Amino acid sequence: MAGLQPYVDHRVLLILQDGRAIVGVMAGFDQKSNVVLSDTKERVYSMEEGVEEIPLGLYLVKGDQIVLIGELDEAADKAVDLSTIRAEPLPPIRY
Amino acid sequence: MLPLSLLNAAQNKPMLVELKNGETFNGHLVNCDNFMNITLREVYQTSAEGDRFWKLKECYIRGSTIKYLRVPDTLLDAVKEEQNRAREAGRSARGSHVSGTGARGRGAPPRGTPVVQSREVYI
Amino acid sequence: MLIFSVFKTLTDQTVSVELKNDLSITGTLKSVDQFLNIRLDNIKVQDEARHPHMMAVKNCFIRGSVVRYVQLPAEHVDTQLLEDATRRETAVQKR
Repeated sequence: MAGLQPYVDHRVLLILQDGRAIVGVMAGFDQKSNVVLSDTKERVYSMEEGVEEIPLGLYLVKGDQIVLIGELDEAADKAVDLSTIRAEPLPPIRY
Repeated sequence: MLPLSLLNAAQNKPMLVELKNGETFNGHLVNCDNFMNITLREVYQTSAEGDRFWKLKECYIRGSTIKYLRVPDTLLDAVKEEQNRAREAGRSARGSHVSGTGARGRGAPPRGTPVVQSREVYI
Repeated sequence: MLIFSVFKTLTDQTVSVELKNDLSITGTLKSVDQFLNIRLDNIKVQDEARHPHMMAVKNCFIRGSVVRYVQLPAEHVDTQLLEDATRRETAVQKR
């Protein structure tokens, strides 16, 4: 594996194939890159209003649904006022 | 922590399953396997648009059609504790091997200890 | 397997990855595995104004199956060597 190990116990941003963006703490993963996230929040982007964060709790995401997992720089993330961010949601994956 | 350990620990617990087509299933986990095929009981099914609902006594979901599962927060600590216990048990089981009196043959258990060790520790 | 080897020779080089959701990410290639999952460091998302979703992300894991293109640094790819290796590999497969 190009390694998800460095992300364990870190707060990450997970982008799904349907375009959803979820932040949470990576609790574990396996060979198929199935991932367990705890304390998750979905970040809903729109052009009409700021980013909405919806708490979702403990999540098990199937590996084949994952597009990207990024380590969140917590300081940089806290410095962003999400309510001021306007953006289109990410598009879903199109093969 | 492995995703499948979490799923196994979720037996008889409530969960929400979303499929790749957007349909969701709310129910209690009856059974699961390593492909993440699952059976749920007392299920509320919701259409992808969220406008239609069905109640099912029991249902089977093929693992490959699942997008994600949501499980109770409390499961995380339960699984972590279980793993710690298994690790501790493994350590003490190995420890007792090494500290054998040496008079007997290699691997022979000290007198008075049960011959069958908790095998699940090594699985 | 050949392309996996090529990617391995490019670790610590700068590459641009275009995903199947049209996101383009530039960064330093840190590692790659047999699925062509990729880990990038010091990432920069193209057109950040339109895609602020990854603002606080400095490094990420990208699933190989969602990659559309990878732009490679031409000066670090020996195309002559690659052509020869490709011929050799296809010759082996035909046998």
